[in-house]
Amino acid sequence: MPPSIPPIIQSSVKIRVSNLSFSYNGREILRDTSVAFPEHAITAIVGPSGSGKSTFLMTLNRLWEELPRCTMSGRVEMLLNGVHQNIYAPDCGMEALRRRVAMVFQMPNPLPMSIFKNVAFPLQLAGEKDKRTIRRRVEETLRDVRLWDEVKDRLAGSALSLSGGQQQRMCMARAMILRPEILLLDEPASSLDQKAAEAIEQLLVRWKHHCTILIVSHYLDQVKRIADNVVELRDGQLRIR
Amino acid sequence: MGRLVERIIVLFSWLSGAILLSVICAVTGYLCFKGLKTIGPALIFGSTDPMSALLLRQRVFDGLFPAMAGTLLLVLMSVGWAIPLGTAAGIYLAEYAGVKTKKIFDLLFDLLAGLPSIVIGLFGFSLTLFLNRHVSKELHPCLLLSSIALAFLILPYIIRTTQIALENLPMHNRLTGLAMGATRMQNLVHVLLPQALAGMVSGILLAIGRCAEDTAVIMLTGVVASAGVPRSVLSHYEALPFYIFYISSQYANQQELATGYGAAILLLFICLLLFGLAFVIKKNLPCQVFSQR
Repeated sequence: MPPSIPPIIQSSVKIRVSNLSFSYNGREILRDTSVAFPEHAITAIVGPSGSGKSTFLMTLNRLWEELPRCTMSGRVEMLLNGVHQNIYAPDCGMEALRRRVAMVFQMPNPLPMSIFKNVAFPLQLAGEKDKRTIRRRVEETLRDVRLWDEVKDRLAGSALSLSGGQQQRMCMARAMILRPEILLLDEPASSLDQKAAEAIEQLLVRWKHHCTILIVSHYLDQVKRIADNVVELRDGQLRIR
Repeated sequence: MGRLVERIIVLFSWLSGAILLSVICAVTGYLCFKGLKTIGPALIFGSTDPMSALLLRQRVFDGLFPAMAGTLLLVLMSVGWAIPLGTAAGIYLAEYAGVKTKKIFDLLFDLLAGLPSIVIGLFGFSLTLFLNRHVSKELHPCLLLSSIALAFLILPYIIRTTQIALENLPMHNRLTGLAMGATRMQNLVHVLLPQALAGMVSGILLAIGRCAEDTAVIMLTGVVASAGVPRSVLSHYEALPFYIFYISSQYANQQELATGYGAAILLLFICLLLFGLAFVIKKNLPCQVFSQR
């Protein structure tokens, strides 16, 4: 008997989470919760601080497996490359999954290397060797995040010299360079001023046409502006609002 | 009351710093006062032509050139053995070892760090005897065995600093590469190690200093008072710390004692040079690593 999953748009489910439980350091954060997320939409995940919203995102790209003292049970299925996959199945490659399910963190996290190398890094990790392809894709992605004109003359400069808003847009370009199918965002605009936050919101609205977006956000007005669906995480349960 | 305690603590901290600084000044000042007058080409090359000595055409009998060459070779060889072993062990402990394995290895490396250098020297000497009896009668105490024994002495410094430098990286740095689809090895090589290199070089700095100054280990494994510049890694050699020890315990006149002080200044200078080199590398490492890619 399959678990009853609250549907959002039943016809085009991209991510299906079933009976998910998660504990960190013995503390139960998610308790036997099920939810489905639709394709090509922005779903905002809201809830009180410390309720486990960021942790929930990490169960969708298996990043929690890098943290100590965590346990998880349940099932997460995704429609990747047109095929439904259980991402916790033994034959599901972790690296391949994370290349299809990209993540942007709360604080901009540029690596201590040049702007160009930061953006090209996921391509190089994925084994792309052709320099012309790398250069073309970096330019395309930086244009996409509206950062190209600001950095085209200093691509070899350190990414750490960019402003906070520029760094976060660069991190978003880095996340998008592999053209992922799902983008997980953990409060990406929380450390930015209003103008930088608006730039990121505009990007997300454009990207949802070729990507499924899940965004953790504390700002209800931001949620109202961009989210197609809202899921609330409270007392270990995910509920559609 | 709280303010008074705070002031006492601040005063105590200042005093501690001042005492440390004055001890350093006193030691270097005393060395310079006693030995500076001997510093010159004659101290290093004696009566030999410097160019002939440097090109190894003529042996230096009455200068410190062979001891300087011996010390430099010894440091380079020991660090050369210890860096790959120590970094690999440090990486294993920080990134791959389980909790129990880590505890056991931590204890073992702490024990190794606490071993007196004379014990390591005895180990080197026993190793030499063993090799002489069971491998080749040609093997005697030499530069190679000294460097291996010294490598054991400095291994704990390199292991610990590598481990701590990696473990102290913030969690978000650790997750950045992995979230992009990096394998654990890619994350280690491209993200973690470049960021930890500065800390790792600190361990190598400490190790260099320890190698350059140690006398107990080399006394039992190959250093002699007069051997010239080592012709091969299997020959005896001279070293500055042993020369200082030898002169200070057996000097015949004040002139000889003064050359001992001169040798001490040279040893400090060599250490300073190696430290400076490591500092420059430490400052530029992350940029160099990334610009090569």
